[in-house]
Amino acid sequence: MDRNQVLREILSDKELCEKYKIKDINTLTSNPPYNNKLVEVLSVIINENDNNLSDTQIYKRIKNIHNIG
Amino acid sequence: MASIINSISFKNFFNYYGDFEDTRYDFEEGVNIVVADNGAGKSKFFNAFLWLFYDQILDSDDKIKKGIKDVAVKIISDKAKNETAIGDSVETGIQIEYSTGRWKYQITKSFTATRLRENITSFDSWQIIINDIEVNQTDHILPKYKPVYDAEEKNNIIKQLILPNLRQYSFFQGEEVDSIIDFGKKSSIEEAVRTLTDISKYEELVSLTKDFKDKAEKDLNKQTKSNSEHNDRLEKAIKLKEEFEKNLGNEEVKLVEFENLYNESEREKNELEQNFSNAEKRNELDIKIKEKNKKVNEIADEYSSFLESINGRFFDGAFSWISLGFENVESDFQEKIQKFREIHYEKKALKNISENPNKQFHFLPLDSPDSVSLKNMIDREHCFVCDREAKEGSHAHNHFIKLKNRAVDSKNDVEFVKNNLEGFFGGLQINAQPFYNKISSIEDSILKTREREIALNERLTKLKKELKVLKDQRRDILISGSEDEDAQTVINRYKGAIRRMESSSFQIERLKETIRKLKTNIQNTEKEIQSLRSSNIPEGYLLNYQICSDLADATEKGKDRVFNNMVSLLEKYANEHFQNLIKYNELAGGHLKFDKTPSGAIEFNYIDNKGNLVTGAAEGFQRMKKFSVVMAVISANTNKYNYPLLADAPLSAFGSAFTEGFFEATGKVFPQSIILVNDLYDKDDEMKINELGKKIIKGDLVKRVYVNQVTEGVEQVELITTKIKLK
Repeated sequence: MDRNQVLREILSDKELCEKYKIKDINTLTSNPPYNNKLVEVLSVIINENDNNLSDTQIYKRIKNIHNIG
Repeated sequence: MASIINSISFKNFFNYYGDFEDTRYDFEEGVNIVVADNGAGKSKFFNAFLWLFYDQILDSDDKIKKGIKDVAVKIISDKAKNETAIGDSVETGIQIEYSTGRWKYQITKSFTATRLRENITSFDSWQIIINDIEVNQTDHILPKYKPVYDAEEKNNIIKQLILPNLRQYSFFQGEEVDSIIDFGKKSSIEEAVRTLTDISKYEELVSLTKDFKDKAEKDLNKQTKSNSEHNDRLEKAIKLKEEFEKNLGNEEVKLVEFENLYNESEREKNELEQNFSNAEKRNELDIKIKEKNKKVNEIADEYSSFLESINGRFFDGAFSWISLGFENVESDFQEKIQKFREIHYEKKALKNISENPNKQFHFLPLDSPDSVSLKNMIDREHCFVCDREAKEGSHAHNHFIKLKNRAVDSKNDVEFVKNNLEGFFGGLQINAQPFYNKISSIEDSILKTREREIALNERLTKLKKELKVLKDQRRDILISGSEDEDAQTVINRYKGAIRRMESSSFQIERLKETIRKLKTNIQNTEKEIQSLRSSNIPEGYLLNYQICSDLADATEKGKDRVFNNMVSLLEKYANEHFQNLIKYNELAGGHLKFDKTPSGAIEFNYIDNKGNLVTGAAEGFQRMKKFSVVMAVISANTNKYNYPLLADAPLSAFGSAFTEGFFEATGKVFPQSIILVNDLYDKDDEMKINELGKKIIKGDLVKRVYVNQVTEGVEQVELITTKIKLK
């Protein structure tokens, strides 16, 4: 499974892109650096799920992105 | 690179008698056809692959797949079994060679059977040992194979010929196409989409993002509670939202239940429809079987009586077969009886000469000519033997009188021999009369009798064959449907299933509406909560919740999009293939449309060029619809489909108009196909195939054609399959 492809497929929603100011989804990748929190959170979910992390572990990473405990 | 089957060989495998070299079929890329009449190895060919992939064969008696060891004795060629002495062994196996880009493989599966007892068909008479699987490989440069030893590697080599999750689209018996792609079952379309896409990944992400949304909301609510200043409205709004979400959960559970109920009812309805039409088909066949049985019995009785009558022909004067070879007996007898009578005459003459010198000695037996004829000749004064006058008083007339009076005279005869056997030999002469006249025609008579016997036997055999075909059809219906229910019960159950479908469909609509309303309420409440939240909640929690919430929605939508896109792609390919399949048929001009049912399954309907739904079309047409979807699954494979098609094609169910389209389309979709057919067989043709067959094999995509035949007019144990290569 191509992670970039999955990322782009999920984010290929016009309203969502407008809301989160995503300009060109074709240039998006699931690898850092990230310019956008939405892209970052989704990339973490996709990558870490592939790495077989548990949902608790993945959620912790997400909270770290937002600097919340 | 596609995997291409190079050859298939058999060793004492059902009707394929002999070693691997003797029964080898070579194949190429493109379309390969094996034409075989029923009983000439068609399904056995297919069984070789069942053995290869699953260590099973399909028992033709009950159409159940069984393990090799359970039916080993049935698998061994009857001729080979018969030739194996007690204490000796025979090997039975299959051998398949196939190539990928780099490698060529040879796989051999076999078992050894040792005969223990007399009865060759009994399972107890044989000891079976399954041999190790042999796998050899070579690159295409060196001609020699090298053995593969590792068991796991061997299994992988066998698996990769056609990958397990793709086998159902690439390896099947013709009738199975009905159940492979039964998009009326939700699971069938889901399975196809799963095979073709990575939708399972999306499903995982949907589950995860939903979970994260809940967690983010809980975290936010915790923060809100700890930061708020007894905001009752906020608390009520949060509680209300939680209640809406709980109700939503309950309604979604109910929805799933009703969708399952709908699916179950639809499945039952489809089965009952099948069963109902089966019941009608059964009746039809029962009538035909009864009539055929009656005919068979009539002919069998006629044949039996005829055989019994043959014995009589030896002694029946009308046939006189006992006299075959007795051509010289008549002249022989005449010579001997002449001599006998001469000697008698001498003896009698010597005895009687003194007593009655005028006594006549007769060369005719006592009753020849008979007294009635003699009297007639005397009265009419005419000899009917030489057709001359015999006037009263003439020598001829007097002779008649003397002959007539022989019996009386002979009483007065003086004994001149100890045992007078004249009467005995005279009797022989008279009684053999009818036989004399028949001697020359006996050979002809025997020949005619034999011809009649052969004709009756052939007729009986043909009728028995026809009866067996009908019984086989009847049994197939029995296996696929139930015998237990009468038509009325079936109708009642059918009506019940339709009612349940209707009521669950109504409930599904109602629940979907309720769910939609609840979702709207949740959204509105969420907006109220947002506005009521204290402004001093850390932004991270708000953003976290917002992002998780949006991602949960987006992932769900993304998954649906992937699913729907694949279904659209299948629809597109299915239509392309369908047009190719029907292009030689008058039906050309419409298209296939995929429609969703209330439970989320897919119906594919044929819409004519006026936009009307076409239903109830012939079986061949239905098969074509389904086959075009199978081929669509193959085409929609994102990697080019690299596996061979192995199928037996029930062309009679397709109809000749579809058959041409079928071979053309197959050749374009699969890199290699091996199709087993019986409908092209014509035993009276020189090439053994009919006109449609000759047309098909001329196609450029058709690379190899074999015709299988079974030796005729031999005992069961001598039956073997031989092949003719036509292309």
